[in-house]
Amino acid sequence: MSKEVQMRAAINQKLIEMGERERLKELLRAKLIECGWRDQLKALCKEVIKEKGIENVTVEDLVAGVTPKGRALVPDSVKKELLQRIRAFLAQHST
Amino acid sequence: MKMEDMSLSGLDNTKLEALAHDVYSDLVEDACLGLCFEVHRAVKQGYFFLDETDQESMKDFEIVDQPGVDIFGQVFNQWKNKECVCPNCSRSIAASRFAPHLEKCLGMGRNSSRIANRRIASSNNTSKSESDQEDNDDINDNDWSYGSEKKAKKRKSEKNPNSPRRSKSLKHKNGELSSNVNPDLYKYNYSSGISYETLGPEELRSILTTQCGVVSEHTKKMCTRSTLPDSDTVLENDGYDAPDGQLIMSRLQWDGSSDISPSDSASSKAILFSGTNNSESKRPKKKKKPSTLSLTTTGGGGERDKGPERERGGDRERVVGGGSSSSSSQNALSLSSRKKRPKLPLPPAPSIYDDLN
Repeated sequence: MSKEVQMRAAINQKLIEMGERERLKELLRAKLIECGWRDQLKALCKEVIKEKGIENVTVEDLVAGVTPKGRALVPDSVKKELLQRIRAFLAQHST
Repeated sequence: MKMEDMSLSGLDNTKLEALAHDVYSDLVEDACLGLCFEVHRAVKQGYFFLDETDQESMKDFEIVDQPGVDIFGQVFNQWKNKECVCPNCSRSIAASRFAPHLEKCLGMGRNSSRIANRRIASSNNTSKSESDQEDNDDINDNDWSYGSEKKAKKRKSEKNPNSPRRSKSLKHKNGELSSNVNPDLYKYNYSSGISYETLGPEELRSILTTQCGVVSEHTKKMCTRSTLPDSDTVLENDGYDAPDGQLIMSRLQWDGSSDISPSDSASSKAILFSGTNNSESKRPKKKKKPSTLSLTTTGGGGERDKGPERERGGDRERVVGGGSSSSSSQNALSLSSRKKRPKLPLPPAPSIYDDLN
């Protein structure tokens, strides 16, 4: 098991070192904006805020209220593309 | 996706897949967190709800989604049918034509001065046809005709005759820039070029004895080749009679809006293009005319098949005058009309025949 953990750590490190993680992040961000995910989530945030009141809302409230839905709302196409890129990276660089 | 065990040192496919998913989840979570931070900051700084005002204003500017109306609720061609009153001539003009009308009416703008110049030139030259006669021979040599040399030169120098825009506008205007035609031939008209009707017989004779005089259907320009076209310049119609200026003169009338019926051709002037117009309007109904061929052969006009593709220049149309050579005129018509609508298998001349008969 620790090998797996080690593996993960190594891979993550490589991702970061090679700048691939940043690239993936940017790609995801662009795609999410494009498909309207961001606006959907913002609307969700608005509801949370209205619920909790402007003055009292905290980051944790927002995160807790929004993140699970956010994960679910990502369109399949975006998810597939990202996974594809990640797998490609892994295949290329996992030594 | 190929997996090499040794490169993965123990991790197999599923594990790799799981790993990929984990990476993906991390990325998505990062995105969500980023959004939450942004929103939280906006809320605390007070600019999160800035785009919302009171309900009433929101309703005013709501997006409209009705047919026939844009998203602001405005109708598209609301002003299409409105009429404006011209301050100059006090006429009621349609809105879409208002600006060009003003241009002409007030005498400003490029076109209006051009027209005015040309009208002056032609009216000047009509009064001295004698001097023009002897200059007709020179016309083909020189670029300028005698009478309006200055004006023609001035006009020509204003614009480059070879520019592509020039050639496009020439289609609908008479080519003063074609330059070796007498300006007195031009009664400028937006819809048609030369109008032979308005010229006197003397001028017509002088013009037509030296030049061909056939007005192209496309460009409305008068053909300025020296007279008596050769047989090889004329399509494949071998049986063509050489156009005789006298005949032509008595029969030509070019006017896009002419309403003289073709039946008058024998007596006064043959209407070739008006005939063409008529035939074109009738074209959808009549597609093939076997009778046409027989008529053609009797007239000695020669075959008339797909040759016209060769004659796209528009300058080679030969109109053979004479009621007897109606087939020739039919040929010419067929040529001209074929040029316009090559997809028609047969020329529209048959309809003219019907009229003539």
